[in-house]
Amino acid sequence: MLINRKFLLTGIALLIILVTACGQSEQSTSIAKPPTQQEVGEVREVNRQTLQPKIVTVTEETRQTYKWYCSQCHGVKGKGDGINAKFLTVPPRNHTKAAYLETRTNEQLFEAIKFGGLSVGRAPCMPAWGHTLAEDTIHSLVRYIRELCHCEAF
Amino acid sequence: MKLLKTLILSGLLLSAPASADVLADKNCGSCHRLKPEEIEKSFTGPDLHYSGNKFQPEWLKQYLINPEVIRPAGFVTDPGFLPKTDLPPHASSSIEDANALTKELMTLKISTPAPVNPEPLSKGLRAKIKYQFERTFGCISCHQSLNLAGKVRGGISGPSLVNAGNRLQAAWVADLLKTPETYIAKSRMPSYKMEPATLEQFTRFLMTLKKENIK
Ligand code: HEC
Ligand code: HEC
Ligand code: HEC
Repeated sequence: MLINRKFLLTGIALLIILVTACGQSEQSTSIAKPPTQQEVGEVREVNRQTLQPKIVTVTEETRQTYKWYCSQCHGVKGKGDGINAKFLTVPPRNHTKAAYLETRTNEQLFEAIKFGGLSVGRAPCMPAWGHTLAEDTIHSLVRYIRELCHCEAF
Repeated sequence: MKLLKTLILSGLLLSAPASADVLADKNCGSCHRLKPEEIEKSFTGPDLHYSGNKFQPEWLKQYLINPEVIRPAGFVTDPGFLPKTDLPPHASSSIEDANALTKELMTLKISTPAPVNPEPLSKGLRAKIKYQFERTFGCISCHQSLNLAGKVRGGISGPSLVNAGNRLQAAWVADLLKTPETYIAKSRMPSYKMEPATLEQFTRFLMTLKKENIK
């Protein structure tokens, strides 16, 4: 029963995502809402090893990494206002907003960065950085996002 | 008197080593990297030291005569990717200069990438790769391309790919996707470890993007 519900919900989430390509479409300017956490079932198997909570700190390098790669979409200050933002159907997440980020675990944030938005039931406009950034760097980016939102996962 | 002048002028033209220094004469090196050795220096324009690998000569010549915007946010050097405002249009050259510059630029090479199958992609594969371009890999988040209705859409942090099929050499595109570090010391684009077959299909897909398809 639970399994069935999961399947159904994953299906719904997929449907929502399927109609959402990343480049702004000219026929509809309305912004598709990303599915909420409850709508999303388990989307992929993950190597639990990589998700072990790690003690990492935010260094100057972390900030530079964020600036160099992430600010293209998320903006220099993480407000979701990078130069690509207005061309995307799903807006880049505002990393300073605690209300949403509190609902996401560090593992989910880690996965979103490493495997891309699709892997956590989010939009494909968020690319995968797993071939670009080392895991420790990704862990430190998660910490940095926690700094930006002044929040922790519930 | 006039004859003498013409004689001297044509003598000068002939004796000048045809186009060897035209890039220096036109001061292109003040904004563009023209030699691989200059890797430490930072420039306000994109790298041209591998023009012979990257560009299709016909496009290059037309660009120099009648430049088009390739990077809608400018050539951004700011680490936080702050776009440039008030972009001045690129200087344009006379047909003669454009010919000489193109000839010279096409000699600048740093690699010998393997050729790519020039056959246009089948319709089915095109649809498949278009889907991956927009979703699986999210290329469209940073690059403009054309949608099914022939409209330009996509992000602007990367160079526009709307005219990639006229502008870029397929072999270079494939090599860039495979080993970006050959050309770009520190790219802002994610690395994609694509399967060789996917990589080839992506390259051939990009080659189908041409500005004459804009509607
Ligand atoms: C090409 C644009 C783009 C770039 C570059 C980008 N992102 Fe994103 N990111 C997005 C979009 C769009 C979303 C929103 C996805 C959604 O809500 O469905 C997002 C969402 C996120 C999320 C939230 C995922 C969730 O659980 O909702 C995190 C965390 C994130 N990005 C981190 C990063 C980091 C770290 C970088 C740099 C390494 C980065 N992003 C680079 C576009 C981008
Ligand atoms: C004032 C600085 C400046 C000078 C001088 C200059 N350029 Fe440029 N050039 C640029 C910028 C900035 C761009 C990027 C424009 C864009 O992407 O839309 C560019 C783009 C180009 C491109 C396209 C490259 C690519 O990868 O898209 C070529 C080719 C080029 N320039 C050739 C030349 C040549 C040849 C000269 C000398 C006659 C020259 N430029 C002089 C600033 C300059
Ligand atoms: C996060 C933004 C981003 C994403 C996603 C992205 N690119 Fe790029 N791309 C760039 C940037 C920025 C450049 C310019 C050079 C640099 O900094 O690496 C670039 C350069 C390129 C170039 C060379 C263009 C030129 O004229 O020099 C090609 C081809 C290209 N990308 C193809 C792709 C493909 C194919 C994908 C998807 C598989 C993709 N890009 C995904 C940001 C991105």
